[in-house]
Amino acid sequence: MTRNDIKELIMEIIADIDEDADFDSLKPDQPLRDQLDLDSMDFLDIVMELRKRHKLQIPEEDYPQLASLDSCVNYLEPLLKDA
Amino acid sequence: MSVPLLIIGSGLSGLAAAIRYARFSPDVLLLEKHARIGGLNSFFHRNGALIETGLHAITNYAEPKDKKAPLNQLFRQLKLNRKDLPLQEQIQSEICFPNRESLLFSNDFNLFYSQVVSKFPRLTAAFDQVLAAIKAYDPFRARPFISTRSFLSDSIRDPLLIDMILCPLMYYGSCSENDMDLGQFVIMFRAIFLEGMFRPRGTIKDLLDFLLNHYTAFGGKIRLNSPVVKICHKDKKVSAVELASGEVIECDHLLSTIGYRETLRLLGQDTSHESLTRLGFIESIFRLPVSCRQELPLDRTIIFYNQADRFRYERPHRHVDFNSGVICFPSNFHGIRPEGYFEIRSTHLADYHSWKSLQSSPLLYGEKKRESSRRSVETIEKITGNFRNNIVYEDTFTPLTVERFTAKLEGAIYGHPRKFKDGLIGYGNLFLAGTDQGYLGIVGSMLSGISMVNRHILSAL
Ligand SMILES: Cc1cc2nc3c(=O)[nH]c(=O)nc-3n(C[C@H](O)[C@H](O)[C@H](O)COP(=O)(O)OP(=O)(O)OC[C@H]3O[C@@H](n4cnc5c(N)ncnc54)[C@H](O)[C@@H]3O)c2cc1C
Repeated sequence: MTRNDIKELIMEIIADIDEDADFDSLKPDQPLRDQLDLDSMDFLDIVMELRKRHKLQIPEEDYPQLASLDSCVNYLEPLLKDA
Repeated sequence: MSVPLLIIGSGLSGLAAAIRYARFSPDVLLLEKHARIGGLNSFFHRNGALIETGLHAITNYAEPKDKKAPLNQLFRQLKLNRKDLPLQEQIQSEICFPNRESLLFSNDFNLFYSQVVSKFPRLTAAFDQVLAAIKAYDPFRARPFISTRSFLSDSIRDPLLIDMILCPLMYYGSCSENDMDLGQFVIMFRAIFLEGMFRPRGTIKDLLDFLLNHYTAFGGKIRLNSPVVKICHKDKKVSAVELASGEVIECDHLLSTIGYRETLRLLGQDTSHESLTRLGFIESIFRLPVSCRQELPLDRTIIFYNQADRFRYERPHRHVDFNSGVICFPSNFHGIRPEGYFEIRSTHLADYHSWKSLQSSPLLYGEKKRESSRRSVETIEKITGNFRNNIVYEDTFTPLTVERFTAKLEGAIYGHPRKFKDGLIGYGNLFLAGTDQGYLGIVGSMLSGISMVNRHILSAL
């Protein structure tokens, strides 16, 4: 997956969790949580969706790496390079 | 057979837990003792009519736009859409202490607030202080028991107002006698007064079908008529469950929604020495032709009443305590128009042991049930107006009925007086959810199922 594919994937997963999520003004380097009104339960959903779709195992101590769109891409890029 | 996640009990907590897991993985099996799902919230058919058991009104009403509200969290976590499940709000409800005071409330908190300040004007500042404390309190942080009665009496120096505030909150969400933990009080105050009450537009059967279809569409599996009779374990780890048929099903994780002591029994532990009081209730349903609806209150959804000097929420020393109770009009919700017949339901505190002593004599038991329903009618008619001559069908559930149909010990709807907030009872891969985990009521039990799956099972995958 390219960096852009991963970005699309994350946004698709979030849109699936919250159909009203507004990505237009999203700053990729800022925390998703504050900008999109996501809570910790929603983060668990993102992790579980990644697991379901791409068989990724993300340990709990790595959750902070999913804070912003950019950090998600950085973290997932090596994991999804063959996807 | 072996499954990653086994769930015992298809009440609302088990169903919610199962859906939550199935959303990410279909490898989950729900085991239900009965021929029907729903547990405490179920239904039966009589003379061609569907009669609901449980469900008066669901607490925690929220508008769809209020995303952080518990109700919307629940929909979101289960991937349910509000559009697929129309909800009808209550009209208004009443806390009625006859000959003393009455307070109305609705899904608009301003009504309750204005009732309190106009009827207890001296206590306005005290009530404001309590409200501020409720809004600031985090009920989900673990702490030891804090007495709600002493918290309230610190500012509200009138036992009448304290009893009136506590009456609906205890009836709809307290497993302990006379006092409740402050955290549980805050949860219930928000759920009932600040948020409000509603019911689904359809019947409880429609709601259960909707949840079950959603679950099976994710690939989740369920088995009815499958009582678990034993939980097999070794070194504080569960390996399998045994069904009444003798079949053994292995599992990685086990979630039990049947109660703490009920679960310990399946683990083979001796639970006979426990002495804590469990609260029992008696519930009567009266069916009436719509033609007499006009003679009864049309603008009351639920009436919580108390006619004694003080409100006593405790196990009575006789079969039933008629001094207080709940009167519910399931047809008095916005947008609901009953056809043909409508119902009135009444609930009072009851003593399991008094009923149990009649069990060996069906004649006496039946007679006592009829007498209780007659006395319930006499009592509530003083509040609602007369209806006894129009009753076409009636039925009464005692704590024994609840015990028989849901296997809740002593028929205690709210379960064990002590709760297990973290869902842990000493086994590495066995977790409690539902009533004894501590969130009560319909929304509460569903959130319990969801949060236990999130906390212990999904995050450990
Ligand atoms: C008369 C009445 C009125 C109520 N009114 C309201 C209301 O108006 N609003 C509200 O919010 N709440 C109401 N409640 C409370 C609400 O119904 C409960 O809090 C909630 O349904 C509890 O769900 P649960 O899943 O924790 O437990 P349960 O519903 O008890 O589910 C447990 C399930 O486990 C099954 N089971 C037990 N033992 C075994 C076994 N060994 N093997 C397999 N399965 C087993 C049982 O058959 C049952 O289906 C009411 C309850 C009653 C009884």
